[in-house]
Amino acid sequence: MSEFKALTEAVLKGDIDKAVAETQKALDAGKNVQAILDESLIAAMGEVGDRYSKGIIFVPQMLRSAKTMKECMKLLEPLLKEAAVTTKGKVLIGTVKGDLHDIGKNLVSMMMEGAGFVITDLGVDVPPEKFVQKAQEVEPDIVAMSALLSTTMPSMPQTIKALEEAGIRNKVKVMIGGAPVTAKYAQEIKADCYAADAGSAVNEAKKLLGIS
Amino acid sequence: MKPIKIPTLQPRLHVLNHEQALAIHTAALEILEKTGFKMEHPRALELLVDAGCKVSNGDRVKLPSHLVEKALRSAPKQIDLYNQLGNKAMPLVNGNCFYGTGSDATFTLDLETGQRRRTVLSDVANFAKLVDGLENIAFNMSMANPEDVPIEDIYVFVFAEMVKNTNKPVVFIADRGRDIAKIYEIACLVAGGEKKLQERPFLLNYSEAISPLRFPVYVMEKLIFCAEKRVPICLPSGSNAGGGAPVTLAGAMALGIAENLVGLVVHQLVAEGAPFLFGPNVSVLDMKSTVVSYGAPEWSLTQAALADMRDEIYGLPIWAYAGASDAKVMDAQAGAEAMFSIVTALLSRSNLMHDVGFLEYGNTSSLEMVTMSNELVAMSRFFFEGIPVNEETLALEAIERVAKGGPGSIFLMDDHTYEHFRQAQFLPKLLDRSRYDPWREAGAIDIYTRCNSEVKRILAEHVVEAKPDDVLKGIDRILQRS
Repeated sequence: MSEFKALTEAVLKGDIDKAVAETQKALDAGKNVQAILDESLIAAMGEVGDRYSKGIIFVPQMLRSAKTMKECMKLLEPLLKEAAVTTKGKVLIGTVKGDLHDIGKNLVSMMMEGAGFVITDLGVDVPPEKFVQKAQEVEPDIVAMSALLSTTMPSMPQTIKALEEAGIRNKVKVMIGGAPVTAKYAQEIKADCYAADAGSAVNEAKKLLGIS
Repeated sequence: MKPIKIPTLQPRLHVLNHEQALAIHTAALEILEKTGFKMEHPRALELLVDAGCKVSNGDRVKLPSHLVEKALRSAPKQIDLYNQLGNKAMPLVNGNCFYGTGSDATFTLDLETGQRRRTVLSDVANFAKLVDGLENIAFNMSMANPEDVPIEDIYVFVFAEMVKNTNKPVVFIADRGRDIAKIYEIACLVAGGEKKLQERPFLLNYSEAISPLRFPVYVMEKLIFCAEKRVPICLPSGSNAGGGAPVTLAGAMALGIAENLVGLVVHQLVAEGAPFLFGPNVSVLDMKSTVVSYGAPEWSLTQAALADMRDEIYGLPIWAYAGASDAKVMDAQAGAEAMFSIVTALLSRSNLMHDVGFLEYGNTSSLEMVTMSNELVAMSRFFFEGIPVNEETLALEAIERVAKGGPGSIFLMDDHTYEHFRQAQFLPKLLDRSRYDPWREAGAIDIYTRCNSEVKRILAEHVVEAKPDDVLKGIDRILQRS
């Protein structure tokens, strides 16, 4: 990690200009793209996650680091595709049909992205068929659904059913969350897991996919 | 000549000066004129356009200030809520303050085990009955989002359960136009017809728009329904600082007020003079847990500020919260946070305080917490009454009697004490002031346990005047249709 110390520090601090400059510098120096990603950016976000869990930093600081990482990724992404590098996994996420609330869902997206997942965000009021269609297209590892209103929760089992009917339920893990959602409900509707908040969504996603 | 009566000062908390109040109001108007909002309900959009709003990109609406001024003039300055027996119970005007429970908790603390568990319909009944039996809790909300009723009609079942178990005013939630019509049907049955309900409304709808500045169809359906039926409604949005709104309180208030004003304007365009309870909920999004805090001093501060703005500008009765906590159990944190919001809401003269008895940032309800808060309200009311100063209370005669009395002459024995102690002192029922040894011998019982016993006593002993049979049967028929 010491090789990218300045970059890692900049991501930790959420210093976007510095981090982007350091990323460019590393690329100019011919550093391996996968190494920049794994050893610096994702490692830094791992540290950010730890600091957050320990109560050392607050959510806006964590999100600023995530934003910093995202800016750096803009430089790496064109090269990543060429190099076919690995990511933690792909997540398809959305707020379920009938529900227009997105603060919680956006937080989960940001946190997962920071942890190295590739996110496809369908936004709010996402009907089951749209989850299915997009899942067929991007082949995610995880389908994540959010609901704030208890009356929209039934869209979750409906989406799971739609995934079954499309024959792709066994190809994805289903994660659910939101204020009225509980672990018990996740069991009842046969989701694979429930996450209480954005931080645990990242941990649960890693557990689901068997990665650290 | 009779001596001049000395008026009693009742302490009043102010947190904004006139300039601050005006600046926040002006910012709210600027948000509506320049940023605009997203109105997704076709009829509401049409009403706004006909009234002179400009629309861009299909549903982005910009609202001129004069429409706000007009709506503020036509909305009633007083909303009277009646109980279900037809008696005036809550005149929401000026500085009148009323406390009540909250809605939709996913969990509750089980009365027998103390464990947190999913709420069921019988919890709604227990909370309603408890509220009915508590003197300082003026109105009822469901306190539960029960898992054992059909989810598409959850609020219809919850409303029916509330009116079966309390005669106090009810603040209710609905999902959209479909279920609010059924709820209204039940309310008409209870009141003895639509006309009587409109004359003596015992209910108020709580609906929420989405911050920032989004007004979905299902929310506006409820607003329009209530306006047409003259059912009082409030329409705060989730303008919590740092989440739905800017992190700084002034901006969060400006946004929340702007959103409220949109609701008010549409509401008054639908039915001029229909009752609208004003006020955004401006709490904070916690910067560690990302929960919307129910124990935050910020929320108390913004609603005290809103009370100042009511007096300076709006003149409409306002919606507020109190008696809730972020603590997971009814511990010292719960007591501290509940008391902070209860006493500040009273001192700042908010009108209708909901959420009494919530734990875990509104996710868990607690019968014990409601019961403790009932006493905290009593304590706060005592403080708020101030110190009456007159011949009787100055008690110069009693002082002379005791001071000049022989050995053994004490105030405790004097008739003045006997005659005045009930009014002169706050006499707690649940807060413990016993001496140490008797306390220990009685089992060293804490406030939670005392409240638990008190809840059980009330649920066992309190009798809620039952609704007539034909009303109950009518309610069940409506439920069977659901």
